[in-house]
Amino acid sequence: MNYRVDPTFKTDLKKFGLQSWNDCFHCGNCTAMCPLSEDSFMFPRRAIRNMQMGLKQKLVSSIDPWLCYYCGECSDTCPRDANPGEVMMTLRRYLTSIYDWTGLSRKFYTSKAWELGAILLLGGLIVLAFAIFWPSISPELTSDGGVRINSIIPLRWVEYGDWAMAIIVAFLLLSNLFRMYIKIVHGAEAVKVPFFLYFKEAWRLIFHFSTQWSFSKCDGKKYWLWHWLLMSGYTIMFIIIVVFLPWFQTEEIYDPWHPQRLLGYYASFGLLFGLIAVIIGRLRKNKAKFKFTHVSDWLFIIMLLLTVLTGIFVHIFRLAGMPLATYYLYVAHLAILVPMIMIEVPFSKWSHLAYRPFAIYFANLKKAALKLQEKPGINFATT
Amino acid sequence: MGEIKPTGVFLTIRKESVNGFDNEILAEYVRKIPGVRKVWITEDELNPRPELILKEISQNNLKRFVLAGFEPGLYKTAFSNAMAEAGLDPKDVTMASFSESGITDNEHAKAVLFCSVHDVPFAEARRNGSAKVLPETLVIGAGIAGIQATLEIADSGNKVYLVERSGTIGGHMAMFDKTFPTLDCAACILTPKMVEVAQHPKIELITLGEVAALRGSAGNYEVTIHQKARYVDVTACIGCGVCSEKCPQNVYSEFDANTSMRKAIYIPFPQAVPNKYLIDPDHCRYLQEEKCGVCQKVCLTKCIDFNEQDKDVIINVGNIIVATGFKTFDAGRISEFGYGRFPNVLTSLEFERLVNAAGPTGGDIRFRTRDKKGNWVFKPEGDEPKSLALIHCIGSRDRNYNDYCSRVCCMYSLKLAHLVKEKLPDAEVYEYFIDMRAFGKGYEEFYKRIQDEGVHIVRGRTAKIEQRNGHLSLRTEDILNNRLLEQEVDMVILAVGLEPKDDAGKLAGLLNIKQGNSGWFLEANSSCDHSGSSKEGIMLAGVCQGPKDIPDSVAQGSAAASKVLQNIMKGKVSIPNEGLHDIELRAKELSTLREE
Repeated sequence: MNYRVDPTFKTDLKKFGLQSWNDCFHCGNCTAMCPLSEDSFMFPRRAIRNMQMGLKQKLVSSIDPWLCYYCGECSDTCPRDANPGEVMMTLRRYLTSIYDWTGLSRKFYTSKAWELGAILLLGGLIVLAFAIFWPSISPELTSDGGVRINSIIPLRWVEYGDWAMAIIVAFLLLSNLFRMYIKIVHGAEAVKVPFFLYFKEAWRLIFHFSTQWSFSKCDGKKYWLWHWLLMSGYTIMFIIIVVFLPWFQTEEIYDPWHPQRLLGYYASFGLLFGLIAVIIGRLRKNKAKFKFTHVSDWLFIIMLLLTVLTGIFVHIFRLAGMPLATYYLYVAHLAILVPMIMIEVPFSKWSHLAYRPFAIYFANLKKAALKLQEKPGINFATT
Repeated sequence: MGEIKPTGVFLTIRKESVNGFDNEILAEYVRKIPGVRKVWITEDELNPRPELILKEISQNNLKRFVLAGFEPGLYKTAFSNAMAEAGLDPKDVTMASFSESGITDNEHAKAVLFCSVHDVPFAEARRNGSAKVLPETLVIGAGIAGIQATLEIADSGNKVYLVERSGTIGGHMAMFDKTFPTLDCAACILTPKMVEVAQHPKIELITLGEVAALRGSAGNYEVTIHQKARYVDVTACIGCGVCSEKCPQNVYSEFDANTSMRKAIYIPFPQAVPNKYLIDPDHCRYLQEEKCGVCQKVCLTKCIDFNEQDKDVIINVGNIIVATGFKTFDAGRISEFGYGRFPNVLTSLEFERLVNAAGPTGGDIRFRTRDKKGNWVFKPEGDEPKSLALIHCIGSRDRNYNDYCSRVCCMYSLKLAHLVKEKLPDAEVYEYFIDMRAFGKGYEEFYKRIQDEGVHIVRGRTAKIEQRNGHLSLRTEDILNNRLLEQEVDMVILAVGLEPKDDAGKLAGLLNIKQGNSGWFLEANSSCDHSGSSKEGIMLAGVCQGPKDIPDSVAQGSAAASKVLQNIMKGKVSIPNEGLHDIELRAKELSTLREE
C-alpha cells in the first residue's frame, strides 16, 4: 500500500493540542515502557513516526491511540521530552474529529469560539424555552414538605426531550462509530474478519465498557478506581434520567433507603469524587497526563461538575421545601446538562466512552482474524 | 584628540537566535558613545533598503557606519552602495562580528562595539603588553591526557609539576583491559608511560595533591597545592605489603570500581606509580579512633608515620594544563534499570574491572556475590553468566540527565561485547542501541567485526529491567524488526556516559576559567582551538574539556603541550585587558595615537 506524505499534517495537529513534533529520535523507549503496547499494536513510537512523516491515511485508520490510557510513563521516561503520551492524546482528539461526519467536532476542537458558542446557544435555548412556556409554579408543598418538582413543567415534556436528545446523540455516535469501524477494519490496514468473530468477540465490548479493565493494567488501581467511579456514576445517572425518569423524578419523597434515592446518591457521589480527583490532579499537574490541559478537557470537566452540583442542590432545595430556588436551579441544571451531553458526547471528549471499548473490540477482531489466517510472525502493521 | 566621525550603528542581533546578548542593553550603550548619531536594531529594519540608509545619512549627516553583531557582512553591500551614492567613501563601513571576535557576553560585546566605533581593532585594544613566561609548567590530573602532555613537555627539557589527586597516576585508562578498535592491552600502552613519569628527571610528581589557590597572571602563576598526608614515607617504603596483609579494615576498592575489597593501608593496584603504600585516613582505625596501629608494628622499614600532616606546596609556573578528566554517570539515578537493586546489573566500569586480567576475578566473568562479611564483590569462584546484555546511552542523550552524547559508549560497548565472546564463546550477547556511533578510524570496521562474532545488536532503547526468578528481564522495542522484545539474560551492563567531575566548578572558579553548558571546561574556540581555555596560559587536555576517547585525549594532551612549549619558546605571553573600562581607555588611546 502506498501512502501519501502530508507535510502540513503536523501543523494541522497543532490545532488539536500538539506541543512539539520533532523531539522524538525513535529510541523506542516509550513503546517498551508502555504496559499496554503489544506485538500487534505497538505504540506510541510508531504513531509519532507516522505523525512526523504526515502519513495521514495510516493514522486515520489506526486503533493505537484508543488503546492508550495515558498513564504517562512514556512521557516521564522519554529521553527527549517528546511527550509521547500527549501525542496520543492529541491523536485521539484528531481521530474524534475524523470520525465525526458533521464536521462539528473539528470546529469545536480547533476553535474556542465555536465550542463556547455552541454551549451557550444550546443552554440559552433551554432557558428561552422555559421563559416562553413558563408554566404555573405552585408554591404549595407536597404533604411531606417537599417542592412539587414536576409542576414547573409536565414531566412528560422532559421525558420527550430526554428521548429526543438520546436519539440524536445515539444516531450521531452510532454513525460515527460506523465510520470508525470502516476506517479501522476496512481501512488502510484492512484485515478480512470472518463473520462469526463479530459475535465471538462481542463480550469484550460489554466487559471493557463496564470495567475499563485495560485502564487498571495501565496506571495502577488508584486512577482506575477514580475513573470507574466517575464512569459508573455517569452511566447510572444517564440511564435513570433517560429511561426511568418517571420513576426517578417523583413528587413524592421516598425514605432514604429507597433504591431511587440510593442509586441517585451513589451516582452523585461517584461523579463528584471522580471529578474532584481529576480537577485536583489537573491543577497540581503532578502526573504527565495532567500536565497539558486542552480547552476541551477543562470545558468538559467544568460542565460536568456544574451539572452534578446543580443536580445535587435541586435535590437539597426540594427536600428543604424552597420552591423558587428549586425551580430556578432546575432550569439551570437542564441548561447545562443538555449542551454537556449534546456537545461532549458525540463531538468531543466524552465520545471516548464509545470509541475506547469499540477500539478494543476492533483490535481483538483483527488479532483473532490474523490468528485464524495462521501466519505467525507476520504483522499487518508495518513501519 | 581625534574627533569621531558621525557614525550610524546597525545591530544585527536577532533575538531568537542568540543567547546571552541583549539588543536593548547594547543599543543603549552604543547610543551613549560620542559620535554615534543613529542606532538601528535588526528587528526594526530587517532588510535595510538603500533609500532608507540614504535618508538617514542626509538627516543625521552620517559619515560612516558600523555593522555589528552576527553575520553583519550580509548587510554590507546595502550600506556600501548607499555610502557611494551619497558621495562618501564606501569603505567606511566597519564590520564587527561577535562570533569572529570569540566573545560570549554583553560586556565583551560592548567592548567590541566601542572599538569599532573608534575604528580600532578589538584584538589591538584588548592587548595589554606582555609578560615573561616561566619555563615551569603545572599539569593538573595524571590520566592519560595529563601524562602525555607532561612527558612531551618534560622531554623538551622543561620542568613539569604533575599534580594528581589520588594515590597513583594512570587515571581511568589504568582500569581498562583493552582499547578499541585495535584491542591492544591498555596497561601495555599506559604502564611504560607511567614508569617514565616516575623516572623522568624533569618531572616532579605530586600525588594526593589538589590545587588550592592560584595567584598571578599568564607567564607567572603562583599555585598553592594542598598535599594530603600519605602517612607512609615514600623514600623508605619498599612495597613489601606486610602492613596491608595485617590491616584488619576492609574497604571497597576505588580502583576496582567498588567491586572488590582493599585494606585501609593499600596500594591502589600492583603497577601503581609511585609504587608505595598509603593510608586511607577515612577508614584507618588508628587515625579515626587511635586503636589498632598494627601496620606500624609489623612494618619492616618503620616507614609509617601517623603524625604526618597535610602540607601546602607553593610553586611558580608559566603555564598550566588542566587534565582533570571525568566521572561516570551514576546509573542508580535511572530507577527503571534497577542498578543498586539487582546485583547483576553492572556499570560498564565495573565490568571493565571484571573482565580485566588484573581484576578481582583474574578476568573471568562471574556473577556478583556476597563475601563473608556481606559485601557485594566479584570473586574468582562461582558461576558464570550464560547470557549478557549491554544497554547503550545510559545517562547520555537523555534530557532527564545529560543532553549530550558521551562519544565513547558505543565503541566501548562493542569492545566489551567482544571480550565477553572471547571469554565465554557460548554466551549470548545482546546490545541495545539507539544510534551506533562508530565514527573514528577503524571504528566502523570494528563494529562489523563484532557483528560477525555473533553479538545480537538490536536497535531500540531498553525501557526497563525486572528481576524474575534469578534472571533479568529486559523490555525493548526491536525497532528494525517490528516487535516487542522481552529478553531474559543473566547479566546486564549499563553503558554509562561521562560527566564532569563534581568539583569541576570549584576548579573553574579557582583558575578563573569558563565552563560550558554541561559543565565541561570551555575551549578557547570551538572549531580551531580545543586545547586553549578561556584564559591565557591555561590549557585543556582530555575529557575535562568534553567527552572523548583515548586517542583523542592523547592528541589533545599533545596539542596542549605544544601550546605550552610555544609560550615557553617565545618567552612571553600577551596579557589581555579583561574589563570593559580598560578596553575603552586603550581604544581611545589607540584612536588618538592614530590621529597624530
